[in-house]
Amino acid sequence: MSSDSDDTIEKGRIDLVPMIDCIMLLLLFFMLTTKFTSEEKSISSILPTNKGTSPAKPDKVVEPPQMVQIVITPAGLPMMNTEREYQTWYDQNVGVGQGIIPAAELRMGGNPATIKLENRKLSQRDNPNLAGEVENIHAFIHEALKRYEIPGKPRKEQSEIVVSCFSALSWRYALIAYDAARSYEVKQGAIFDAKDPNSLTNARAVSFAPPRVRNYSVKEMGAELFELHRLK
Amino acid sequence: MSRSRRFKPEADDGHLDLVPLIDCVFLILLFFMLVGRISYDQRNEQITVPPTKTALKMIENKDWTRVVINVFGSTAAGKIPRNSIAWNADKPWVSSGRDEQAFVGYQKLRDKLDLVYDSSRKFDDPNGTKVPGGGILQLPYVIVEVRADADTEYRVVQEIQMLLVDSVNPRPDQSGASMQPKVPQKPFVNLEFTTRKPGEK
Repeated sequence: MSSDSDDTIEKGRIDLVPMIDCIMLLLLFFMLTTKFTSEEKSISSILPTNKGTSPAKPDKVVEPPQMVQIVITPAGLPMMNTEREYQTWYDQNVGVGQGIIPAAELRMGGNPATIKLENRKLSQRDNPNLAGEVENIHAFIHEALKRYEIPGKPRKEQSEIVVSCFSALSWRYALIAYDAARSYEVKQGAIFDAKDPNSLTNARAVSFAPPRVRNYSVKEMGAELFELHRLK
Repeated sequence: MSRSRRFKPEADDGHLDLVPLIDCVFLILLFFMLVGRISYDQRNEQITVPPTKTALKMIENKDWTRVVINVFGSTAAGKIPRNSIAWNADKPWVSSGRDEQAFVGYQKLRDKLDLVYDSSRKFDDPNGTKVPGGGILQLPYVIVEVRADADTEYRVVQEIQMLLVDSVNPRPDQSGASMQPKVPQKPFVNLEFTTRKPGEK
């Protein structure tokens, strides 16, 4: 008369099969949907609202602010005399749609010393020594920034650091340079804001240079390289 | 005799002992629930962000909205062209930064930003920037996360930054040839660049 399940309950057993079905389905769901990726982090930046072209003329002469330029250009770029020569170099060595420029050179302002940055060595997928490579770039920038310190001036009044990277290079170069400048400020006493740990307080401004040309054309690459090569 | 009884005490009456199985399955389930993370569509796996040392964990704040602008880099895996832009989990669109098509792509991004700006709560610009019509420039409670692949061309990230702070139409066929930033109309100033610690893969 009584069913099987009644029998098992009578014998002091609980039918576990439906529960196991549910658990197996849950397990299958988690196994298929989870990804074991490392957690991404972020670097924050506040973009300026007061640096646009003002319609009103200034009533007095404004001194341009002092800046420390971190200049990043393609590796092997020779010093040339005209924009046209730079354009020819660009067309021959980078060209239209030829992909990623494999290496770059970083220098500080007018200082002739450079450090070579290679895509291959800074790729996370290929290189187990990535942390060391990044550390080398940081050390180079920190050493150079020490020479631009103005003794006695508070951190916020030190010269602004501007990252000027050739626009056709990879984003990683510009961000690593930006990161190095921030880490230098941390070493010099800047602190992360308690309310927003991504923000640095008691630090000078560190920013990316605005694009030299907005309505891009590959014909303007020569002009950009010409300017960057002469940036002090 | 006693030995076989010890190992199969429950099988004698036709029932398997499922308790060890359930223990194991529960442990595996717990492992996946705690260690694994359900893939988040806003974060396309084809993007490898650059390494940095001063990066910190992202902070979620209930008062702020977060939008993610994905920018694709190396196309070794093959499908999405370099410098393509994807808004949150949307389908990417091409923005090569080299031709007219690129400007259409940037315009599309600015259109989306305008929609977000219009629907967001706002606060007064701490710099006190005046707008042409009078009053203080209004900034939205929005964090824009630029999640660009390490191999993305720098020009695309530059252009996105310019698009964020101003509403200038980047197409060369409008507003004359000048693309200089003007007084911003619908700016986004709180920006985050996605990155990773160098030691993490």
